[in-house]
Amino acid sequence: MTQAKPRAKKLPLKERYALLTRDLDWEPSYVEREKLFPYTSYEGIKIHDWDGWQDPFRLTVDAYYKYQAEKDKRLYAVLDGFAQSQGHLGLADASYLNAIKLFIQGVTPLEYAAHRHFAYLARYLEGPAPRFAALCQSIDELRHCQTQIHTISNYNKYYGGFHSWSKMHDRVWYLSVPKSLFDDAMSAGPFEFLISISFSFEYLLTNLLFVPFMSGASFNGDMPTMSFGFSAQSDESRHMTLGLEAIKFLLEQDEGNVPIIQAWIDKWFWRAYRMSALVAAMMDYMLPKPVMSWKEAFELYFEDQMLGGLFPDLEYYGIRPPRHVEDAIAEKDHLSHQVYKILHNFSFAAAFTTQTPGVEHSAWLSEQYPGTFDELYKPVWDKHARTEAAGGRIFFQGLPQLCQVCQIPMVFTEPDDPTSTSFRTSSFRSETFHTCSDGCKWIFDREPEKFVQAWLPVHQIYQGNCGGPSVPEVLDWYGIQEGDNGEYKGSPDQRSWAEWHSGAPKQGS
Amino acid sequence: MQYELRYQVIEAKRQSYQNVIDRFGDQPATRYQEATLDVEPRENFHYRPTWAQDRELYDPRYSALRLTDPYTYADPRGFFYTPYVTNRAGLHDEFGKTLSYLEDRELLVTLPEAWRSVLGSVVIPLRHYESGCQLVSVTGARFAHGTSLAQCCTFAAFDRIGNAQMLSRVGIAVAGGVGDVLTTAKQEWLDGAHLQPLRRLVEEIMVADDWAEGLLAIDHVDSLLFPAMYSGLDEKALLGGAGAYSLVAQYLTTWFADQRRWLDALVAAWRGDPEHGPSNTEHLDRIAATWRPRAEEAVGALSAVVADRLDGVAA
Repeated sequence: MTQAKPRAKKLPLKERYALLTRDLDWEPSYVEREKLFPYTSYEGIKIHDWDGWQDPFRLTVDAYYKYQAEKDKRLYAVLDGFAQSQGHLGLADASYLNAIKLFIQGVTPLEYAAHRHFAYLARYLEGPAPRFAALCQSIDELRHCQTQIHTISNYNKYYGGFHSWSKMHDRVWYLSVPKSLFDDAMSAGPFEFLISISFSFEYLLTNLLFVPFMSGASFNGDMPTMSFGFSAQSDESRHMTLGLEAIKFLLEQDEGNVPIIQAWIDKWFWRAYRMSALVAAMMDYMLPKPVMSWKEAFELYFEDQMLGGLFPDLEYYGIRPPRHVEDAIAEKDHLSHQVYKILHNFSFAAAFTTQTPGVEHSAWLSEQYPGTFDELYKPVWDKHARTEAAGGRIFFQGLPQLCQVCQIPMVFTEPDDPTSTSFRTSSFRSETFHTCSDGCKWIFDREPEKFVQAWLPVHQIYQGNCGGPSVPEVLDWYGIQEGDNGEYKGSPDQRSWAEWHSGAPKQGS
Repeated sequence: MQYELRYQVIEAKRQSYQNVIDRFGDQPATRYQEATLDVEPRENFHYRPTWAQDRELYDPRYSALRLTDPYTYADPRGFFYTPYVTNRAGLHDEFGKTLSYLEDRELLVTLPEAWRSVLGSVVIPLRHYESGCQLVSVTGARFAHGTSLAQCCTFAAFDRIGNAQMLSRVGIAVAGGVGDVLTTAKQEWLDGAHLQPLRRLVEEIMVADDWAEGLLAIDHVDSLLFPAMYSGLDEKALLGGAGAYSLVAQYLTTWFADQRRWLDALVAAWRGDPEHGPSNTEHLDRIAATWRPRAEEAVGALSAVVADRLDGVAA
């Protein structure tokens, strides 16, 4: 028989968590605080009480290791099984992988950038609690980058376009859209980074930027990517709560923070929204089995959930919906079509392939975009289809002009007139700079010193910095290999797919 | 005897990503290689950082220590995210079980008085030291040049919070489930004369401009502190009725052995670099000359207190 012991005392959970995290911090007395945290004053944000930060989640290190190790064990089991069973043969179609090419070239490097720069926040934010939250996010983002590399590694063995994702992110024209966005955030101060990535990117627009790839995977038989998406979900929900806590904390600390943060929301909504144009094109044109149209996703995830749900809450703090949001709403019927047209025209210089939508696909687009598709975009695709039926393929000759801010070719039309292209110009140091919209012009005019620094791919080609003056030289410098680019029909991917699915007679047929 | 399962074979067009093929030829690559090599962006950065206008977002100039090609360095542990968290989940799980055992039997609450005093005023305060080390390591997670180096720093930073939490949980256990010992230990960290050389040293390292110098300065402290405070007290603890301390200290010793593996390999890579080796060696020697004596002084002050308090207990 054992004797009953006096009950051990127990710390309340919140107090215990504080002892294991923020209480580790101390006020330095041998060095100046300003020297230890040199970057928290120059953006004008005022924090009076770092202890006012409410931990949005309580995860100790031992629990973190345990959960994450278990999740990864399950994820890698899926990856191994998929690889061993040649699971790629069960995809909806090989053309689906164009979406995943865009993903590893465009998104995976952003996970890596987030990993590195949340480490910056984990070093330089003054409050120990947000520093720890940033440290967790930093290591999570490394997880996402690396699990994506491993998820896609198997596709890379059998299909084109995946093989040089890292180099391509540094060099290829359409990838300067996501790269410049993250470079913009990382080169800003710590608070702007927090609002741009934690709030605008992870919270405000994550369902339009990141999630569509995962949903597309689940609809198109891409079990590894879908499993990755599910596996990242609990991490992402921590990141989203961090974004929301960050903005509330900054707004509550000082009234003077409100206009600064409002301007960042204005800027970063438009920055991230413009980048989502690539996702819009992917959703409407690259998925053999579509999930939902861009327009529907925008209405559900942005108009209903954010404008209808989040912003009324933020009104209490004096925050209004982002500037230029009405332009985004006005172009929801046009965005994906205009951007895919560009990708289609220039895919000879891309590390994915494109194709003219077929009859069924066109019918789906007509249904999704009753007001615009038949009138404005279908005629263009019909023309392509006629050319292709005669054995041709139209590619645009020459190089497009890029927006100085978002770096997307200047293809967008005026919000109130879909037949005229929107051009804006600004003058700075007696030079003229071109932007694609009121949103991008506003961003340029606010920080011209920053945006004149942009590494614009087309300018760089003209200046001879991209391998040489001819298209083959540039493609070579991009790391694009024969058949990665151009038209899908007849491409190596399409031919291999047809070959792998032909041959053996079917029993019972 | 094996049975013969037939499965579909499709010839791969390539075995790995192109950057890995460029380095090692077209052969199957490890997950460590694919997750590490050439992942950090190299060129065509769009804007200069507002917080360091004379640098690029990724730039070898954040440290005086350089590698011609950062990917000639590989973590000898082969850690990318998954093996890292899997390994540490094991370490912390074992630690948790040990701690529960000690708590259930009240073996930390009932430590001999001299040992309680050593823990309360020397060992538990080191959770703040660990926290400072986290700040130093995470600087490398941001500024190290090359994914191969930066991810080691990231893991080290997370490790240090793990160490701090292990020490904190020991402190809570020593107090019988409450935070009192942590409170007095923090006071010691802030005011105890014996801890001031260490605290001053850590604070000065925390503001080092060069992330690698900070990391190495901490390592000079670690390589004296860990043997002195954990493995080095083992025998005394076992003989002096403080076996419970030996049981928890072993996890910090295990961690430190693991930390040595990647860091020693990195120092060797810096010294042996074909282009930067001589200049790296000069910097490494300067770093040692600057920080080693300070580390000796700081750890010496702690060892003196430990010896004093345990005097007569284990003798």
